[in-house]
Amino acid sequence: MKFSSSSYLVKEGLKNIWNNRMMSLASIIVLVSCLIITGAASLLSLNVSKLIAGIGDDNQINVYLDYNLSDIDSIKLGSTISKIKNVDECIFYSKDEGIKEFKDKLGNDLYQSMQGDENPLGNVYKVRLKDLSDYKHTIDQIKNIDGVMSISDRAAIARTLTKLNYFVTLVGFWVVLILGVVTLFIISNTIKMTMYSRRFEISIMKSVGATNAFVRIPFIIEAMSIGLIAGLISSISLICIYNPVRETAGNMISMIGTSTIPLEDIWLQILLLFSGSGILIGAIGGFISITKYLRKEGGEILGW
Amino acid sequence: MIHLENVSKVYPNGTEALSNISLDIEQGEFVFIVGPSGAGKSTFLKLLIHEEKASFGKIKVNGYDMMKIKNRKVPYLRRTMGIVFQDFRLIDKMTVFDNIAFAMRAIGAPEKIIKKRVAHVVSLVGLEGKEKCRPNELSGGEQQRVSLARALVNKPEMIIADEPTGNIDPKMSFEIMKKLVEINSRGTTIIVVTHEHELVREFGGRIIIINGGMIERDEKIPTKYHPPESSVSDFEEVIS
Repeated sequence: MKFSSSSYLVKEGLKNIWNNRMMSLASIIVLVSCLIITGAASLLSLNVSKLIAGIGDDNQINVYLDYNLSDIDSIKLGSTISKIKNVDECIFYSKDEGIKEFKDKLGNDLYQSMQGDENPLGNVYKVRLKDLSDYKHTIDQIKNIDGVMSISDRAAIARTLTKLNYFVTLVGFWVVLILGVVTLFIISNTIKMTMYSRRFEISIMKSVGATNAFVRIPFIIEAMSIGLIAGLISSISLICIYNPVRETAGNMISMIGTSTIPLEDIWLQILLLFSGSGILIGAIGGFISITKYLRKEGGEILGW
Repeated sequence: MIHLENVSKVYPNGTEALSNISLDIEQGEFVFIVGPSGAGKSTFLKLLIHEEKASFGKIKVNGYDMMKIKNRKVPYLRRTMGIVFQDFRLIDKMTVFDNIAFAMRAIGAPEKIIKKRVAHVVSLVGLEGKEKCRPNELSGGEQQRVSLARALVNKPEMIIADEPTGNIDPKMSFEIMKKLVEINSRGTTIIVVTHEHELVREFGGRIIIINGGMIERDEKIPTKYHPPESSVSDFEEVIS
């Protein structure tokens, strides 16, 4: 296609957006909503996956001792744990140190009232394992020691997060699918409206010998531009809200802070992927509409 | 140029619009198609521009076999003809210049050539100075001249005019017909569908009367009108 034709067709496509601005705006809003929900679900899924991988790699467990176990018995229990073959390190963490961590949250009066025998926490051993592949066996060995109340089973957390990830992926998939169909429908309707408002021009174009490709291009450019605008708006919105959401979630769950994906690593991918998706959805929606129109009413000239 | 052999057209609802029509129209002929409403004139034109496909028979237009033509070739067939509509079919939001240029832009002509060519056809149809006007600022006759210029701008081999004088006053109708005769005098085939017998008698040529989907009469009558030499030479430039 010649350059003069290309620039004319691009100009026509962009003009259509303004001429049909209300419908274009509606399409952009729906597409932005769809892309933001899709993006949020994908980012959540990616972060949960990273979190699970992080947990899997972490070879430290907390061993909680019975509340009524004396300090001497607690120390003895520590040496029993250290003797287990797969234990690399076993550090005692007293209940007094534990309650100190809650000092700010409890307030001074409550904190003072929970000293000594009134301390509701138990002593803890922070145990580092040598080989994670023997994780389950080692955990069973520790659990069987008298005086051990419970163990922070990170495998269980990983399992829960995996389930959550599966759920997020599944829900995300359906949300994306449904919103994708809705978006395609809205975009193709926008293009259909533009076409109907310009069917007179189309009939003239056809009467003077314009090819279907020539008639089609401005409408596809219009749809792709709508998709691009929506892609840019949604990606910039996600980029803006990503860090605040990540920080808030990090404050709520301490392990999230370090395990999530930093914005610097993904902002460019978000921008490119969203813009690309917007353009692609627009192109497909526009193409479906105009092709359907040209096959049916688009051939009418005298009978217009 | 146009060859129809035993052509029939039956619409999906069972209406037989044309029945076993055969005719030939040669390059450079001036043909009037007349007949009452519902006679099949519009269907005849639709077959020529491939808006409809014949149910039976053989049709050839400007070298294209209309029974075998592929959809992707139809635009190229239509580039060999210019169409003038009864209701002008001008785009209100465009100026006269852009309405005419639209026909060239739609087939991908370069802007530089469009400017030259449009200016030329504007002068030929006598609309100099009106290039920036919008259709609603023009009289019916002027609008039809814009429509004629648009049909002419891509240098077609044939002009199809569907009731070109149906929406304009008698004086303007005469002017439009004069323009068509002038175009014809340089070799462009002209097919005019009309109800106006007075114009047919004035301009003469070949008259095909269609009635009830069949050709009732096909005859030649002498013309009373002869184009002036100057306008013929003007059109020579445009058509060539």
